[in-house]
Amino acid sequence: MIEHAYLIPLIPLAASLLVLFGGKEDPHSPMPWVAIGAMAVCLGLSWTIFQGAASGALALPYERNWEWFSFATTLGGKSFIYAMPVGVLIDAPAAVLLVVVSLVSLMVQVYSVSYMHGDPRYKRYFAFVSFFTAAMLGLVVSSNLLVTFACWELMGLCSYLLIGFWFERPGPCEAQKKAFMTTKLGDSGLYVALLLLYAKTGSFQLSQIRLFFEHGYMPAAVATAAALGLLLGAAGKSAQAPLFIWLPDAMEGPTPGSALIHAATMVAAGILLVAKTYFVFLASPVAMEAAAWLGLLTAFLAAAMALVSYDIKRVLAFSTISQLGFMMCALGVGGFTAGLFHLTTHAFFKALLFLGAGSIIHAVHTNDMRLMGGLSKKMPVTFLTMLAAVLAIAGVPGFSGYYSKDMILGAVWEHNRLMFGLLAFTALMTAFYMFRLFFLTFWGEGRDHDRHHHAHESPGLITAPLLVLALLAVFSGFGLSRGHLVERLLPKPVAAHPAAETAQAAPRPEQSAAPEAARAHPADHAHPIHHQEAEMPAPLASAVVALVLGAIGLAFLLYRGPTYPIADLLKSRLRPAFALLDRRWYLDDVFLALAALSDRVAALAFWIDANVIDRVFVDGWGLLTRVFAEIGNALDVHLVDSAVDGVGGLAADLGAGLRALVVDGQVQVYLAYAAVFGLAAAMLLML
Amino acid sequence: MLEAIVFWSLAGLVLLSALAVVTLRNTVHSSLFLGLSLAGVAGLFASLGADFLFAAQIMVYVSGIAVLILFAVMLLGRASDLHLRQVNDLWPTALLVCVVAGAGLFKVAAFFEGIVALEPPAPGTRAIGRLMLGDCLLPFELVSLALLAALIGAVFFCRSGGEENP
Amino acid sequence: MTLAHYLAVAALLFLVGLFGALTRRNIIGILMSIELMFNAANLNLAAFDRFLHPGGVAGQTLALFTITVAAAEVVVGLALLLAIYRGAGTVYVEDYNLLKG
Repeated sequence: MIEHAYLIPLIPLAASLLVLFGGKEDPHSPMPWVAIGAMAVCLGLSWTIFQGAASGALALPYERNWEWFSFATTLGGKSFIYAMPVGVLIDAPAAVLLVVVSLVSLMVQVYSVSYMHGDPRYKRYFAFVSFFTAAMLGLVVSSNLLVTFACWELMGLCSYLLIGFWFERPGPCEAQKKAFMTTKLGDSGLYVALLLLYAKTGSFQLSQIRLFFEHGYMPAAVATAAALGLLLGAAGKSAQAPLFIWLPDAMEGPTPGSALIHAATMVAAGILLVAKTYFVFLASPVAMEAAAWLGLLTAFLAAAMALVSYDIKRVLAFSTISQLGFMMCALGVGGFTAGLFHLTTHAFFKALLFLGAGSIIHAVHTNDMRLMGGLSKKMPVTFLTMLAAVLAIAGVPGFSGYYSKDMILGAVWEHNRLMFGLLAFTALMTAFYMFRLFFLTFWGEGRDHDRHHHAHESPGLITAPLLVLALLAVFSGFGLSRGHLVERLLPKPVAAHPAAETAQAAPRPEQSAAPEAARAHPADHAHPIHHQEAEMPAPLASAVVALVLGAIGLAFLLYRGPTYPIADLLKSRLRPAFALLDRRWYLDDVFLALAALSDRVAALAFWIDANVIDRVFVDGWGLLTRVFAEIGNALDVHLVDSAVDGVGGLAADLGAGLRALVVDGQVQVYLAYAAVFGLAAAMLLML
Repeated sequence: MLEAIVFWSLAGLVLLSALAVVTLRNTVHSSLFLGLSLAGVAGLFASLGADFLFAAQIMVYVSGIAVLILFAVMLLGRASDLHLRQVNDLWPTALLVCVVAGAGLFKVAAFFEGIVALEPPAPGTRAIGRLMLGDCLLPFELVSLALLAALIGAVFFCRSGGEENP
Repeated sequence: MTLAHYLAVAALLFLVGLFGALTRRNIIGILMSIELMFNAANLNLAAFDRFLHPGGVAGQTLALFTITVAAAEVVVGLALLLAIYRGAGTVYVEDYNLLKG
């Protein structure tokens, strides 16, 4: 099947065009099922590839290129023809992500059939979602960085369209602009990085750039600059600090759309980009360290914000940012496997959380958790699936999040103890705020009786995807980590090392088959960063689990309801801290202030220009000029003007005469002029 | 000899009827002479051995366009037209332009003096068909598109007026 | 008969058409003159094809395309003419002076 892998992004693309342009816009249009069918086919294709990868039957990475266009170029003083190929490059991580993306997208679409039913732009929504997924799948499979960039930007466009889907309201409009501009800020870095890589290697092909790196031709400074540019791009897309300001607002769009953005497509793209170009990062320890600290900072800042928010979707948005920080941090410390593993599990439980939140919002018609409560009996399926997701994201042993987060913490532990402490604390915060959300929503009494009374379980089309995702959220971690499948599927790329002839692009399946002791200290590690499968010491791991459970217990104590004396007390005591978090660390204000500051600088420059430069130079010069001008004027008026008037009058008379002669509105006169002048031109040419 | 007779008589027919087209006062006669002139051109095509072009000329121009123009003349003509001058005051200029242009064109024609066809003409319909459905397929399709557009355009222009004056 | 003969006839036909297009007052007359010029061009094409490219049909094919386009032109032209006539009530072009400056 893998030779047809290029179909994977093309099928949803075709479906989206079909849905967008086929049929009439109708709130009850059957067109969405076309998109869902296409996505199911896509999932099937992806699944066969994944199975091949998991069983080892497929030789990965698989690359196939077609010629796209070619051009002549000069590089380093030499001219040559560069043929730009376009193609698919599927390595094992891509195989995993294909399944994740298409599965989550399929679930989101099935869910949306019911959720978006009756919307006036029902059909268009599905076209957007399909297109979004197509762009993401294209990003996953593309072998060419230019195509990757194109897909990247298409995703930016799609997020813009989905966030602003209800563009009649002011909120989505603002949010879509914010998202677009913020991500564009990051994209500029990515663009510079791409140009840098191309200028240095003369190719946009990932495999060729990689070869370039592996042979050690890349100067460290360039590698660092490129890696930092890529990191900036990833920070914009994957909402890392301080560019995460767009993501909390991004939930203005339809909730299933948010689920797609937060789980499978948009934010995953940044992490995926870093993973795809991981060899660039490996060549630059500075960039790796930057990525790690950036991820850590993001994880911490976002988790802190999530502690105080009362908007259910906003809490989830902050948790997404925080989890993305975990992934970025893992990638930064060299935990490639851990980072992508977390991306996979996170996609499942975050999609589930968002879809569950959508189900709740559907039932109670508000985002405010203070107006919810006691929904467990009203919505049992949502309650149970959300419980699974919350347990997974909190990292309770046995659930998927536990495995991946454990792996990340292990990698960080090996790298830097301080970092580990902060990240572990963030993990505790995660558990706390997720359970805070959970208790506020489902526990206790209904705080708004009217809403509570009318709440009801969502229809089957909404709960079915929830159940599927819940199964995945519970079992995917266990399933993937069993038998070290994840290490085999998501092998860490080997670092570039000029001296080591063994450095190779292909993943090494024998590595996973090696016994545990050998894996902990692989004999042939020629690469400097070797703690890929690092683990925390067992007591520490147990301590972390215990602390997580403690955090959950704390959340239960504080937010079990029906009243919240301790939480309220804390809130009144720590008012400044709460305010700080509530205003999202004042980052929005910082960005606005930056804009205002540049405005001020411009105003200052203007003032200097107007009062100093203009007064002294321009005005002085003007005065001097004026004196001369007065003299000139006297001469002018009396001597020159009369002559000029005469000439002007002559010209005017001539013009009027010519005009009367030429412009008389007669077609044939014009035709005669055309003939005469055409003739004259022909004669000139013949002479 | 026969070829010369055919050529000169056809050339005379074409040019004289063309002159009649542009000078006659009665527009109906003008359009009838147009048909004659076009038929003469068709004859010239035949003498050049362009058999398919000959047929197309007869079918499209002589029996199509000339008749269409005749209809238009009859539709738009008035009895008073017969007493009006049909030539405007521009004719001296036009004559001058034509003389100068004629000088140039004859100079070009003289450049090809003495070129004769060496082989007898062969039927070309099959070759044209192959060319049109082969190398010239795209222009062929585009022309058919242009015809469709002309058809719709003509209907559109006539229809909008038709509603005003039933 | 040489190529020059045919070119001369075509040139004369073209000049007659040009003269008509410049001098006819009647708009249908102008249209007819334009048709004459088209035919002159077609004649040139056929002649060049016969004399300079024996055995080939490219010139004839081009002439066929010209005929087709000319047919389309006449159809649209006459339709426009009818529309103009409805509006202006005359077929004499000196009365069509909306462009007069």
